[in-house]
Parts: sequence; C-alpha cells; structure tokens
Amino acid sequence: MTGSLQDKASLLEVDGLSVEYRLNGLSLRAIDDVSFALRAGEAIGLVGESGSGKTTTAMAIAGLLSPNARVSSGEVRYRGERLPIDDDAAMRPHRWSETSVVFQGAMNALNPVHRIIKQIAEPCRLKLGMSRGGATARARELLELVGIPADRGFAYPHELSGGMRQRVMIAMALACRPSIVIGDEPTTALDVIIQAQILKLLGELRSQLNLAVILITHDLSVVAEACDRVMIMYAGRIVEDGTVAEIFAQPKHPYTKLLIDSIPNPANGKKMIRPIPGDPPNLVNRPSGCAFHPRCPSAIGICATEFPSLDEFGQGRVACHLHRSSQEDKVAAHA
Amino acid sequence: MSESTVQSLSRGRTRALKNFLRQFLGHGGAQLGLLCLVLFLVMAAVPNILVGPLQTAINATGDFLASPSSQHLLGTDEVGRDVLNLVVHGARISLTIALLATVISLIVGTTVGMTAGYFGRWVDDWLMRLTDFFFVMPSFVLALVITPVVLEVMGRGGEILGFRPSLFVIIVVIGMTSWAFVARIVRSQTLSLRERTFIDRARVAGSSNLSIMVRHILPNLVPQIAANGALVVAGAIYVETSLSFLGLGDPLQPSWGTLLSLAQSAGAASAGAWWYLGAPGLCVLTVSLSFVLIGNALDDTFNPRRRVIP
Amino acid sequence: MPDTADFLRLEKLQVHFPIQGGLFDRVLGRPAGTVRAVDGIDLDVGRGEIVALVGESGSGKTTVGRVITKLAHPTGGRLLFEGHDMTSERGASALRPYRHRVQMIFQDAYQALNPRHTVFDIVAEPLRSLRLVKNDTQLAERVSEALASAGLNPPGDFFARFPHELSGGQRQRVVIAGALAVRPELIVADEPVSMLDVSIRSQILQVLVDLRDKHNMALLFITHDLPLAWLIADRIAVLYLGRLVEIGRADDITFNPRHPYTVALSNATPKVRVGVSHIDLPALEGEVPSAARIPKGCRFHPRCPMAIDRCRQEDPPAVEVGPQHMSACWRAGEVKARSELLGVARSSSVEPLERRLVSSLVKDRCRSSISAEAGVPDLPDPIRGP
Repeated sequence: MTGSLQDKASLLEVDGLSVEYRLNGLSLRAIDDVSFALRAGEAIGLVGESGSGKTTTAMAIAGLLSPNARVSSGEVRYRGERLPIDDDAAMRPHRWSETSVVFQGAMNALNPVHRIIKQIAEPCRLKLGMSRGGATARARELLELVGIPADRGFAYPHELSGGMRQRVMIAMALACRPSIVIGDEPTTALDVIIQAQILKLLGELRSQLNLAVILITHDLSVVAEACDRVMIMYAGRIVEDGTVAEIFAQPKHPYTKLLIDSIPNPANGKKMIRPIPGDPPNLVNRPSGCAFHPRCPSAIGICATEFPSLDEFGQGRVACHLHRSSQEDKVAAHA
Repeated sequence: MSESTVQSLSRGRTRALKNFLRQFLGHGGAQLGLLCLVLFLVMAAVPNILVGPLQTAINATGDFLASPSSQHLLGTDEVGRDVLNLVVHGARISLTIALLATVISLIVGTTVGMTAGYFGRWVDDWLMRLTDFFFVMPSFVLALVITPVVLEVMGRGGEILGFRPSLFVIIVVIGMTSWAFVARIVRSQTLSLRERTFIDRARVAGSSNLSIMVRHILPNLVPQIAANGALVVAGAIYVETSLSFLGLGDPLQPSWGTLLSLAQSAGAASAGAWWYLGAPGLCVLTVSLSFVLIGNALDDTFNPRRRVIP
Repeated sequence: MPDTADFLRLEKLQVHFPIQGGLFDRVLGRPAGTVRAVDGIDLDVGRGEIVALVGESGSGKTTVGRVITKLAHPTGGRLLFEGHDMTSERGASALRPYRHRVQMIFQDAYQALNPRHTVFDIVAEPLRSLRLVKNDTQLAERVSEALASAGLNPPGDFFARFPHELSGGQRQRVVIAGALAVRPELIVADEPVSMLDVSIRSQILQVLVDLRDKHNMALLFITHDLPLAWLIADRIAVLYLGRLVEIGRADDITFNPRHPYTVALSNATPKVRVGVSHIDLPALEGEVPSAARIPKGCRFHPRCPMAIDRCRQEDPPAVEVGPQHMSACWRAGEVKARSELLGVARSSSVEPLERRLVSSLVKDRCRSSISAEAGVPDLPDPIRGP
C-alpha cells in the first residue's frame, strides 16, 4: 500500500545470493549467485523442479532459512536497505509486516484447536499493537477481503475445505499490510477450479493493494496465468529470466523450451509427448560447466567445461552458451 | 535366481544392517546399556567360573551377616553364604525369567495386535476386549491363583519344560500379563500401516492376507517391537523381583527377588546389613536401566525424526 | 461405440459408504447417512484403449479405479471383465487370474513401495504371489525384463536398491515395473505423474504410451488434468460427484465439450498462451459439495451457470450428442453454443463491450449459485474412513 509512493524503482533487490546447506558434514550449494530485482506491484514466478533452489531463494528473502543453511555470499536489499536475512531475531520486525509467506500445506500451518478468526487476529494484535476488539474487526475485514463471509471466521480449520483454508492463509499473510507476498506452491494441493479461484483472488488483491508477489511453483502454466515475469531456475541458478509473454512466445534456454513443450497444450493441436531425457541434477555432484548440459539436446563442447553467465539478452536474461550477447563469443564457441 | 543376483541382494541387506549398527552403536545410551548388559550376561553364563558353585546353608563358608571384607566382597547372609556368590548365580535365574517372559509376551502381543489391527471390525473388537481383560489383570493375583494349582498338579520337585514349577509359573504369569501392552502398541501401528499404499499394491499383486501381514506389516513393526521389547524386559525384571519378594519364587534357585525377600525376612534392614539388600537391589536397577537405555536407543535409531520433537 | 463389451465394462456401478455415526447414534440405531462416492457409472474400456477418467477430488475417480482393481467393493451395479461378472469375487486366491490381467499404478510412488523391500522383491512380488514363474532363473529374467521396459537400465543395478535410494522418477518406474511384471492386459493408473517433476512426467507418460503401442495394453488413466488427459487418452470420461457427466473422444471433449462442467473445468485449467493477453474467464464459484449431501436434480445445478428449473428437479440422463459422445445435461444442445461464445470471448477479435456482456452474463449466473454450498467441510476419505 505504501508501495504506491515509490516510483517504479526496485522494491527488493537480490544481489549475488548464494546459500549453502550443511548436511552430514557435506556442504551443498542450494543456490548460486542469484540476482534479480522486484518492483512494487510486480508478480514474479519462480519456476523449477525439486532441488532447483526456488524454495531456498524465497525462504532466504523472507529470512526463513533452516538452521543448517548459511548465506555464503551476496545480499538482499529491501527499499535500498540491506536485510539481515541470516539473523532470525533481526528479521522479525520485517517479516509479516513487509514480506509475508503463504505456505503450501494450509492444514499444517493452522492451529487445529483455535477458531480461524482468532488466528488471523493474533498477528494484528502482536505486530500492529491493536486492541482485542480492533484486531477482531481487522480479521473480519481480512476474511471479507479474501472472499470468506466474516461469520465463517468462527469455524475451526478442519471445518473448512482446502480452498477455504488457503484463503485463510492468504488473509493471515495480508494481516500486517505487507508489500511483498511470497506464495510457496500456494495452489499445488488444490483442484483446478479452486486453483483458478485462488489465482484470481491473488490477482485482484495484487491490483487492490499494489502487492508484489513472488510465486514459487513447478507449474509453468500457473505462472503464465498469474505473473508478469518468469525466472526459470535449474540446479540452483537462474537460467532464464524474462516477461511471461516473451518467454512463452520465444523461449531461449533449451531447458525452458523443453519445459514448455512438455506441457500438454491442446491449443497447439499437436499430440506429442516430448520427454526431457535424464534425471534432475544431484546437488552433491553437480555436472561441470552448465548443469543442464548432460540433458541438453543442443549442447556443444564448451557447455561441459565452462559455466555460461546470466547475460542480458533482448528484454530478459539467459544463461546459455548458444545465446551469448556478443556474436564473437558464439563464433568462438563453435570454432 | 542367478548367482550374481543373490550376491547383490545380500549386499544390499548387509549395507542396510551395517548402517543400522553404526548408528545404533554410536548412541551413548546404547553403549552404556550394552556394556552393563554384557557384564550381566557373562555373569549369567558362567557363574561357576566367576564365583564357584552356588552356596547353600550346608556349604556356607562365612559368619552370619558379616560385613564386606576381602574374603567376602559383598559380605554374607544370615546363614553365612557369600552374597556375591548368590547375586551372580541369581543373575541367571532373573535374566532367564525376564527374557523368556518377554519372548512369550512379544509373540502373543504381536500376533494379537497385528491380527486385530489388520482385520479390524469384529475381530478387532473381540481381540481388544480380550486384551483389555489381560491389561487390567494384576500379575500378583494371577500368580497367587495359578501357583498353588500348578504345584498341586506337578508337585514341588517336578519339572515343566526343564523349569521347576515355581519358575515356570512366574514366567507364564509375567508373559500373560505383559503382552497386552505390546498388543496395544502393535495394533495402533498396524492400523496406520494398513492404510499405506504399499499394502494396496501388495493386494493388487495378489498377495494373501497372511503374506501381507508377514512380509509387509511385520518387518515394518520390528522397530516398535524391538524398542518396546526392551522396555518389556525391564518391566519383567521388576515383576519377577516383586513376585519373588512376596515369596512366590523358588528358594532353591534364588533370583534377585528371592534374595531381597530372604534379606527382608532375615531383618537385614534393621540389622544394618546394607550389602545384603543393596547388592541384589542394585543389580535389578542396573539391568532394567540398561534395557530401558537400549530400548530408547533402538527407538532413536529407527525413528530419527522423533529426536526433533522435544 | 466400438465393440468393447467383451473387455472391461462397468454397469450402473455404485459405491456407497455408510457414515460411522457416534456412539449415541449407534446405540439408538439412528441411521447416520451414506457417502455416495460412486453413484451409477457406466463405462467401457476396450482392448488396447486408453481412457482417461477426469475429475476433481471427491468426484469418485479414484474409487472407480479401486473397484476395478478390487481394492474397493461396489454396493451396486456390476463389474464385467470379458463378460465375466467380477463384482462379488473376493479373496486372494479367487482373484488370482483376474489380478494377472488387471494391475494398478499408484500416485505416490514413495508410499506405494515398502521401505524394507528391495527393488527386486517389489517387482518379483506379483510374480511370486500369482505363481507365474517356475524357478528363480525365470523370476530374475522376468524382473529384469519388467525393469527394462519401465526404463530402468541396466536392470541388475537396481535389484539390491531400497526405495529411499532412488529418485522420484525411478521410484515411479519401479511401481510401473511391478505392474508390468505380470504382463497385464489392463492397467489402472491413478494420477501416475502428478507427484513427479515436470521434466520426468513426459518420460513416464512415454513409457505408458509405449506399453499400449507395443503390447496392446489398455490403460485407465485417472487424472485431474484435462490437457494431460487429452494428450494421452483416446477417450475422456468426466466425473462430477460420483456420476459421469460427459464421455467422448479426447478431441471432442477438449474442443467441443457438451457439458457445462467440462467447460468450467477446461476454463479453469491454467494455459500457456502464446501471444494472447490474459483475459479472465469467470471462474466457477463455490466448491464441490460433499458426497454425503448430493443436491437434488442435476448434481451440478447449484454451480451451473446454465441451470434452469428442470435441472433443479430432474436428474438428466446421459444422451448421445455426437458420435461416441454422451453428455448428461438437459441443455447439452446449447452448451456447444455457449462454449463457442466463451471461446470467442477468449480471442482478441471480439469487441470489448460484447466481451464484457458475456462475462457479466456468466458471472450473474454464477452468483446465483451455491454460496450455501461453499465451504462444506472435507469429509473423511470414504474408502479409508475417518
């Protein structure tokens, strides 16, 4: 809501962020040199498979990394100020009031023994210092906002359907008037019709409240429906970044192309299964060079040895040796 | 099956077992528990080598209720027998009773619990009512009722399956009264396993109910059975001690409980003969504690996730 | 309709589960009601045919699959396999010949594999239980063959592995290998790819389609994803609240739906549109009512944008609306026009005003729908009980 005062400058900047997990004495790099900027009111889709680092990226931004994770380099800036993302206590004032998260499993995130209106009112009381009556009034307002009749607020979580519970989660995320909402697979467990309702709700809330949204999902078509921009992640790195229209019309990275091709699309009329060969990468022994090269149909010699940097390309960015910004590089690579 | 297949299959199992052992033996509680247990098992296995044959009133060597000395490390009892000798010999009886009773309890408990949980409906209803009956039955009363009957039938000198009747009664009584606990745990675990998709898959694969229970459910119950089995042993040792203390033990084959009972009736407490009461008492405590430690370590190893929850 | 009667046929299939009442209800003998998970379904699957069963959660699609694989028992109707009535066959030994020919693939491969069995034991289990092999050499051969056709190569490398040592895609391949090992003629696949990573999905779909092409295996593909159903299936059957609302060839259902629910489902599916800006179609409001309180008349009428009085009173029968195309809707004839209208609204050539008219029209219809039904609590899974 305060975002409208800002011009189109970046609300959130992620700069060279790398996060490592310690696991049984091993150090696993979950994300590697991730950089991007989010503008107020913008919706970015973070797409990748399991182990691609999309969730780690989002949790790092919200300061919700697990205790065995370590930010090994880079920083996150919010309205120009550096966020203490690896300090849980220092992040507390920022979280929920500036950046909030909607998790996937709504049933686990709600306390089964409290009425939902109480659970929504609680953050208002604790974070915004509202009185009991004021917080309840705010909770009713929030319920109406997400399309639940306020009287349903006296229900317990188990009395609500999956879609309703997800709406409650959204209401809770909005309680402290954040400017960024991170959705961690918010519709994955829902039926398509309910998913459409939730995505529509998110879209409406975005324009009403000028919310910036980061949507984490494995489903490209959800992003196509709900976001302005897409970032495709693979093995901990952003491999392609661009507007939805651009990426779906003309994907540059071979991985993006294969992902789009693998979505059944009756509108194309072509009934063909195009499998992507190989298995998703293993973080313990990541392939050398470009992590996608063992599965890439158009890999060339250099792909196995040298990591392609994420370069500006047209309107977006792409990390692929076949799409180097300078032609010399491309020629050199082929030679 | 070809030779190499067999080899590679056994390799997989060995690897899993090695992993398990490494984790289990790395557990501090398990180390302490195993150490104590090995000590007592050695005592139970070769008492004659350690302290010579069991002393009786006839071949007793010491004074009456003599305090610990270099000759009698743990003093003597009221007829001059060496307490160390009695305690070491008592280990065999106590451990035999506890382990055999636990075996009975685990077999009965697992069978009843798994059957009830797997078949559900009226089978479950009836078996669980039966379990409730045994659950509330006090072991003392059962022992008091059965012992005279068995003694009447067999006579004091006879043997049942190689055990003297009073020992046999104690084993059976402990087994009968402790299986209900196992059955309850196994049933609840079976109820949740039954809902797992791999049971559906086994059914589609054409496996019979018996085969599903033996090949799919039982192996997944092993963690629960092993962890709780160790606790059942600890409980059995206590029950055995209590039963013997009340005079239901066999005076000719003294267990730790019998020793405590003898010490009590000899007035060891008022005479200040702490060694006579203390030695068997400490043994009971150590052995049951080591089984509890092993049980907890098994539970931790099988259920690493549980450690997260305080 | 192709002559499929001699393979698999469901006739008026019905699965009702009693709701377990509380202690008082039981003591007083009060009827606690029934969950009508599957409520009269007719379906044929031909040899070598791929039929997709599409529906939301609570539509009964999984229960239909479980009835066919004899994991759930119908309370009414018949299950015919090659003309034999399999409805009341029970017991592992009596079902052995049937299980040899009908197998199942599960959604969650991690749950479907016993964590304490090796891959070899898992794939060998049906061969052993159904007594399809004479000796161990033959067993190892069949297991290798099944693993290889599920795409696990070389098979020997996987024999001694445990499920937790495999990736998600590999686990699903093991589940498929377990079903393939007996060389069945029909496989019921319950959401086989919904838990998998996007790049692995197509690989698994390819394995399934290859089975049909090479071994003429029939496949009942249960999914919530209409485009996926279109991609893989010859015919699509759409389920709503335990009833078939529409069935027809995949292309007909996708491009020419004749039931308002199919239209809604297709509109709600997120699409990758190239070069078209987002135009919000009105989302269907409300949620699927509980199968314990099925609305009177057409069960879709409270949410239907086209409902008329007749829909509130009378349950529509399935009527033929085209070749091999049936729809259970009183206004099936008009759905075509409407879906065209919506289709036109989607393309950018329409005047904005007209587009707005269309969407407000549909919206009004939606609004008069089930606010009362919205937010019914989740019922316990009817198969597994509370």
